[in-house]
Amino acid sequence: MRRRIVEFSVSHPKRVIFFMLFITFLFGTQLPKIKTDTDPKHMLPATSPVRQYNDQVEEWFGLHADVMVLGIRNDEGIFNPGTLKRIEQVTEEILKIQGVIARDVIGFSTVDDVESSGDILEAHPLLSKIPETKEEIEAFKKHVLGNPLLVGRLISKDGKTTAVYIPIEKTANGKEIADQIKRIIIKEEGPEKFYLAGDPVVRDTFGVEMFKQMGFFSPVSGMVMFVVLFLMFRNRTLVFANMAVAMMSIIWSMGLFIGLGVPVHIMSSMSPVFLMAISTDTVHIFNEFYFRFKELGRKREALFETMNAVSTPVLYSDLTTAAGFASLAIGHIIPVRIFGLLVAFGTIVILLMSFTFVPAVMALMKEENLKKITFKEDIKTSRASAILFKIGELSLYKRKAVVLVGLFLLILSIFGIKQIKINNNMVTWFKKNSEVRIADQILNENLGGTSTLYLVTTSSKEDVMKEPEVLLYIESLQGYLEKQPLVGKTLSVADYVKRVNRVLHQDEAKYEVIPESREAIAQYMFLFSMAAKPRDLDNLVDYPYEKANIIVQLKTWDAVDTEKLIEDLKSYFAKHPLPGVELKPAGIAYFNMVWNHEVLIGMLEGFILSSILVLFLLILDYKSLKWGIISFIPLFFTIILIYGFTGFVGKDFDMPISVLSTLSLGMAIDFAIHFVSRFKQRLKETSNIEDALLWTIARPGKGIIRNAILFAVGFSPMIFAALTPYITVGFFMMAIMILSAVTTIIYLPALIYLFQRWLIKGTSHNQNKGFGGVGK
Amino acid sequence: MRKILCSIVILAFPFFILILSHLAYSQANLPADEIIRRSQAAFYYPGTDMKAKVLMKLVTKDGKERIRDLTMLRKNLDKEGGEQRYFIYFYKPPDVKDMTFMVWKYPGKDDDRWLFIPAINLVKRIAANDKRSSFVGSDFSYEDVSGRGAEEDNHSILKEEAFNGKDTYVIKSVPKDEGSVDYSYKVSWIDKESFIPLKEEYYDKRGELYKVFTADEVKEIQDFPTATKRTMKNVQSSHRTEVTFEEVGYNNGIGDEIFSERYLRNPPQKWIR
Repeated sequence: MRRRIVEFSVSHPKRVIFFMLFITFLFGTQLPKIKTDTDPKHMLPATSPVRQYNDQVEEWFGLHADVMVLGIRNDEGIFNPGTLKRIEQVTEEILKIQGVIARDVIGFSTVDDVESSGDILEAHPLLSKIPETKEEIEAFKKHVLGNPLLVGRLISKDGKTTAVYIPIEKTANGKEIADQIKRIIIKEEGPEKFYLAGDPVVRDTFGVEMFKQMGFFSPVSGMVMFVVLFLMFRNRTLVFANMAVAMMSIIWSMGLFIGLGVPVHIMSSMSPVFLMAISTDTVHIFNEFYFRFKELGRKREALFETMNAVSTPVLYSDLTTAAGFASLAIGHIIPVRIFGLLVAFGTIVILLMSFTFVPAVMALMKEENLKKITFKEDIKTSRASAILFKIGELSLYKRKAVVLVGLFLLILSIFGIKQIKINNNMVTWFKKNSEVRIADQILNENLGGTSTLYLVTTSSKEDVMKEPEVLLYIESLQGYLEKQPLVGKTLSVADYVKRVNRVLHQDEAKYEVIPESREAIAQYMFLFSMAAKPRDLDNLVDYPYEKANIIVQLKTWDAVDTEKLIEDLKSYFAKHPLPGVELKPAGIAYFNMVWNHEVLIGMLEGFILSSILVLFLLILDYKSLKWGIISFIPLFFTIILIYGFTGFVGKDFDMPISVLSTLSLGMAIDFAIHFVSRFKQRLKETSNIEDALLWTIARPGKGIIRNAILFAVGFSPMIFAALTPYITVGFFMMAIMILSAVTTIIYLPALIYLFQRWLIKGTSHNQNKGFGGVGK
Repeated sequence: MRKILCSIVILAFPFFILILSHLAYSQANLPADEIIRRSQAAFYYPGTDMKAKVLMKLVTKDGKERIRDLTMLRKNLDKEGGEQRYFIYFYKPPDVKDMTFMVWKYPGKDDDRWLFIPAINLVKRIAANDKRSSFVGSDFSYEDVSGRGAEEDNHSILKEEAFNGKDTYVIKSVPKDEGSVDYSYKVSWIDKESFIPLKEEYYDKRGELYKVFTADEVKEIQDFPTATKRTMKNVQSSHRTEVTFEEVGYNNGIGDEIFSERYLRNPPQKWIR
């Protein structure tokens, strides 16, 4: 079947090429329908319980899922008429932006302040009138810094940084709003510095940046790859063939998915780079073809023999690659699923092209040209082959040492793996000196923190949250929380009740306590709702007073830190229970933490599935369990080594890495498939294990090295990306391909040679039997 | 004699027509300011005093409710548009029972407000520099409860149209002092006959619809058209407040002395019952 397809393609090259280009054109007509979706929020499945609970908490307390934080800092302090005026102006402008939930923006000029002046209780926006004289300013400063509801949330202790909290509509794009805010800020001329942070800014900026960077890195990767390809084979036709295969796989897969109406997510935007890299699998065909042509001198026969030799490894290595990507489809995250299926389909297209389009193009090459460029292509004359031959000898004759070194590295890696920290932090997806990261850092240093956790105290009876003992409990819980190093600021209904109590008693500090009767608490809250905006209380206690919300500002986005805090809280609650009241976490920090777990578990499942699929395909290919296991070893080795290294350098095992682990399995196995398949073929011809191994290392080995180099080169430009997950992808893919090539060339032959008796019963062994006298 | 009478009638007839037509004309072509003034008078000033039981229901987007039940006493010290006093006694929620609230309203000047907090037996004056802040957590602002001076806005007639079967003036009111309010302009549908506003739309600073007031039931009580059911809905947050006026009575003869700190602490049983 495979043979007949190849024969047809070689006999009718023009027809095959034209036909493939025509199909490509058909898929290409779908491309203009492209719909992009840069919103990473759509990565989250709407049905997950944590998300539903979170939505509910937001509804109970009138909270908003997406809140930006604008930090305004003046190193001389913000308490001067100029800065205060600018704070007011900027806030005023922000309120006019479409998508901003103006009614719930909290800043100096919108937050209600309740104070006692003389015998009058006054409620007004904190900054209702800009203080002008020195005395007024001092008084204002003293007033603001003396209000515990404000310090840490709206004003830093040193009075140099303030913040405006800007909730945005769920449908709004954080990046677009952030850009509009930046335009407002630019107009302000003053000594103030502005910092924009918060989940929507980070997330949506990331989404947009990811697309932009892919638009740049896909063509750059392609170019670098094809330049190197040309340097390797010195033939434009071959480079063209490979480029065309890459393009066709991209156009077919993109065309298919766009045609089906699937939007291109940020994740899928990476697929061109992957498909280009995978298309370099055709290198094995070119590599073998050059050797065969040199031997035979006739193009047509060389082509058939080449295809005969490499078709099985090409088939299985592409199938394992496709299986690895398709395994992503069992995860919960839709864009990752689409990405997996898209690349899997593209890989199948590459496989199809390897048996049709590639031979057809090669059939059109001129023999004279081939003679010139394949002049040196012989195991004995090729320098690369000569080096590989030496390496092969080392691997075979020092096999025990090689295997021991391998084992040592493996054990070392296991120690590294133990140190791996499973974590996810979107802010660190930006580089250290990026605007997003600096803003986050400054705000976390000076104010309560940019990440938010909600702790919801829940009872099953109405009005429980007005009971003095419940409020006292909340107060002590807050005390405990604020002792934790990563907690910046907490806010609860208890704070407001204490504040009102104090204000009602001539602002005397000793009244900053929870009153003793429930009536007093209820009447204070009622008074508050008569004086200030109701939303301030609504955010902290629900309508029937069954539940109260403690807003906890965190100075970190690390999922592990949230996890530890929640663990600590659990044990605190176990030690100090409050009958009839439960404590449940929610909010963006908790949400990110749970989501992180879900993603990792999904990826772990994908990883296991992909391993099983790959192993199954290997056994199917060799029709042997033993050979399946032996060729799985280099892959296993590579993965362990890379995780070990990840652990040692202290890089978090985060989402990008977990996705990469799953998909890389199917690609990293390719070299072993080529090696073992070709070795087994050669063994049949020569019947000598040693010769066959050395030959495989020198000849198909050259193809493996070429492929690995191309792969690594393709991903290398990503190291210069501005987003750290791309840098991770770049490094990770380079490392995994080079390492798996090296283990395939050095470690695998040593293993095969060492376990030859167990692996190879019969042919070759019979030869040695006479001399060695061992075995059955 | 009859001739003379006849000729007088005949001679007077054109004048009569003239006067009639002039009356009709002026009725049809009231200036916007005058419509608003009359509307304020009809809505906030009917009678010399008023007593009503007011049931407020604050409803969140997901249907959770809070109740505020109160008795409201109002007395006009002056003619329409002039000084007024309000006394409010809260029944519900139960834990705020006996809280009382008093407003002395002056045209063109900040009101005086007092609140009595029974739990700590304290009368506290509350500054009233923000008339747009919420009244007891509802969607109504203080101004929506006690009225806004007609001279604070620039009014213009947008059109005249039928609304819920009534002929109405549709008036746009743009505040003169933009900074003092939370909206950019308001559009009111004012009943040509009763001058009760049947609907009001508030637009936020971005020009988007923000709050909608509707008079859902208007009854004649002692010849005064009275909006006995009202709703204010915040269309952006989907929070709404429904208000029902019960036991409304005008010209009860409520004495001036009721509106004092003494009665705040000891609510006048006769009136609040």
